[in-house]
Amino acid sequence: MNESANPVAAPAVETRLVYAHGLAAILTLLISVTFGILASLELLVPDLAGNSAWLSWGRLRYDHTQGIMLGWLGNAFFAFLYHAVPLLTGRPVTSVRLGQWLFGLWNFAVVVPGWVLVLAGFSQPLEWAEFPLVIDAFVVLALVLAIIQFLPPFFWRGLEDLYVSSWYIIGALVFTLLAYPMGNFVPELVPGARGAAFSGLWIHDAVGLFVTPLALAIIYFVIPAATRRPIFSHFLSMLGFWLLFFLYPLNGTHHYVFSVIPMNAQIGAITASALLGVDVIIVVANLLLSLRGSGVFPRDVALRFVSMSTIFYLVVSIQGSVQAQMAVNQAIHFSDWVIGHSHLAMLGFATFAAGGGLAHVWQRIPWARYNATALEWSYWLLFAGVILMVTDLTIVGLVEARLWQSAAPWLESVRAARPYWLVRTGSAIPIAAGFIALLAGLTTGPRGAGLQSVEETIGLKPVLEIAPRLAATVSEAS
Amino acid sequence: MSRDARRFLRMSYLVASVGGVLFFAMSVALLGIWPGRVLEDETRSMSPAHPLGLTVSEQRGRIIYGREGCAYCHTQQVRYLHADMARFGAPTLAWETRFDYPHLWGTRRIGPDLAREGGTHSEDWHFAHLFAPRNLVPDSVMPAYATLFDGSPDRPRQGARDLVSYLDTLGRARELAGPEGEAHARAACNCPNDEMAQMAFHAAALNVNPARTRRQGTSPKLPAAGDLVRGQQLYAHNCASCHGVRGEADGPGTAGLHPRPANLAGHEYTVDRLGYVLWNGVAGTAMQAWRDLPAEDLASLAQVVRGFHVAQQEPTLPANIVDLGAHVYTVNCAQCHGEHGAGDGSAVAELSMTPADFRGARPSVAESLRALRNGVEGTPMAPWTGRLSEAELSAVAYYVRGFFQGAQ
Repeated sequence: MNESANPVAAPAVETRLVYAHGLAAILTLLISVTFGILASLELLVPDLAGNSAWLSWGRLRYDHTQGIMLGWLGNAFFAFLYHAVPLLTGRPVTSVRLGQWLFGLWNFAVVVPGWVLVLAGFSQPLEWAEFPLVIDAFVVLALVLAIIQFLPPFFWRGLEDLYVSSWYIIGALVFTLLAYPMGNFVPELVPGARGAAFSGLWIHDAVGLFVTPLALAIIYFVIPAATRRPIFSHFLSMLGFWLLFFLYPLNGTHHYVFSVIPMNAQIGAITASALLGVDVIIVVANLLLSLRGSGVFPRDVALRFVSMSTIFYLVVSIQGSVQAQMAVNQAIHFSDWVIGHSHLAMLGFATFAAGGGLAHVWQRIPWARYNATALEWSYWLLFAGVILMVTDLTIVGLVEARLWQSAAPWLESVRAARPYWLVRTGSAIPIAAGFIALLAGLTTGPRGAGLQSVEETIGLKPVLEIAPRLAATVSEAS
Repeated sequence: MSRDARRFLRMSYLVASVGGVLFFAMSVALLGIWPGRVLEDETRSMSPAHPLGLTVSEQRGRIIYGREGCAYCHTQQVRYLHADMARFGAPTLAWETRFDYPHLWGTRRIGPDLAREGGTHSEDWHFAHLFAPRNLVPDSVMPAYATLFDGSPDRPRQGARDLVSYLDTLGRARELAGPEGEAHARAACNCPNDEMAQMAFHAAALNVNPARTRRQGTSPKLPAAGDLVRGQQLYAHNCASCHGVRGEADGPGTAGLHPRPANLAGHEYTVDRLGYVLWNGVAGTAMQAWRDLPAEDLASLAQVVRGFHVAQQEPTLPANIVDLGAHVYTVNCAQCHGEHGAGDGSAVAELSMTPADFRGARPSVAESLRALRNGVEGTPMAPWTGRLSEAELSAVAYYVRGFFQGAQ
């Protein structure tokens, strides 16, 4: 990384923090996936948990999604930020000590105790907010620390020529902190339908203001870094960014269409959902145009992950725009279709971005082990698993919707779903294997093999190339 | 880059940042605060003056409901859609949720919506169902909550009692508000031209759940014959868990049900009686209604049920025995079971459930004697051994069989 040809001294990346968060991400991922697999098995064998209250379906379901969002994606995003922020700003993050605290807080005051408390029966029944209130307090504290850790370098540098990933990072950290209380605190204070309106905001903001911007920050970062070409259009980047932050929060009420929540709010949210599809087309067009020439399955596995993530992002967003529309929503709402949709978002789009981001930063930790073959396996197993699972859940959602519209007794829809649920559980085999391969890819193999693979696939270049105009700015400033 | 350009850029970033925060604030205002105010007004104007809140036990039940993730399979929100209304009743109004901290609306339905569950199933059904769901509902995927019990559905711990008492509150406030409450809400809504809002106020739709039992009700006239194969399939899916595969009331679901499910093989039923019971359920017992099944299916079921009965040779009884039975019946049974055995005696209104209707269901002598000797647990039918002699018991056991109106 320290090429002498580079006019700028490479900013210090705290590779140990990258590594710690990356490893924590994959370990919490494996645990979260285990929760998910157990929950899906319990739909097939409902007495699987026996008399254990700790392993009953509801509690596993809570831990599955909270673990994916906070454990897996949270840690993976932090790992990426420790790599990207110094490179985007030319300055180190605020403090290594702070980073250690953040790491400890996030994993040992949020994720692990959150899981245990939920299993022990302390939780709140709010979607994407299932960890109990005491944990929520630590999440807010950690988000404040993350802002202190990652945002000052952007401001010290001055905001000129901010690369789009930087915008997404700043936006995500600030707005997640603002949005988090909407779903986690407000419904405890505001009852019933009124609380549900706020829940709707957070259900969408968790994905729209936390997961999506950081996943896009990764994609926007990895594509130019790995293709060694600037992004297609900075104008489209910024247009997409601002439309996203304008439209995403306005989607919330589409989770409660045909409810008692005022129809104008519902219609507004449905309209915003349709427009959001347009925004995503802009973003994805920009990304795909930046990827042109790399092929659908680029040689660099990190780039391949993020390019598939981009495609998943397009599909899941168009699907979201369509399913928010009343004619579709009335049928498929409450069904497995939506579970398919959320897996396409979190397992397809977000996980492929996070996995690609991890692979990318791992390649650039000189002392980290790196196993290219395992990552190849990981990519293809996950790809197959996601396609199988989402297709299956989409079909069974339609089957359920049809039965619910008919006069058939309720349980007919459960009976009809079971073969599909079996396939869904089957899809866990490639997915879990893919994640184990991801772990192997980042913990086995020779040390420094990542750099070597970069050299083989895209050639070794200093990482400052990711924002082509950045190098000039930094050198000018120094 | 020139200095002016930089200054401009810096300003534009400032403007953009302020704009970003404004976007977010706008979303909170438009989709959180404003709808909240509308809903608050609606709640205030449409709610009855003193809606019933939750007792301490019911609140504890609500916490268990939340902690076990019940809301992640059972929504508590009937949408303004005919498909929802047909299954679960009237759409949920804002005021009905005014005590829900936090709300339990849910976004996924694996099991049915529970917004109007109160009064739909009996307490013993809930206990038995929570203890071992598949004993009652084969193919259900609901987890068993045996940890809320002390080893059997008859021995619920406090947690199970709390949870079931909470389940019985779902939809209660609206039901208690009654027709006056509906009229008040409708007037407060003041939305005669809003087709969707009007959906909430169809009086007949409030508790239209097809499983909900009705103590009094009509029933469709079933065709005399049904499709036996279809009937057997329906019976296996929906009835055998309690009534047993051969109708001998020995299914796994019998544990914990009070009264026990009817012994179908021990009774001879008229098609009309079966139609009535299937359509309305048996209020006060675990027998739910099956109004979601079309009449042909009910006829098929009726045929299966009638097939369990093995005809007995009717003995010719001496006149003095018949007279004794008639006398005992008139003195001891008619207040409840009615002068003509129709289950319509003068005391019926005081009873927690409707007494057996002997015109539509003829018990075997053994069944009849069993009920007379032991009473029927979980019903007002008391044991009569201390009060009647063996001869009297026997005589009345035969006598009630004479009311049956379906004999070939």
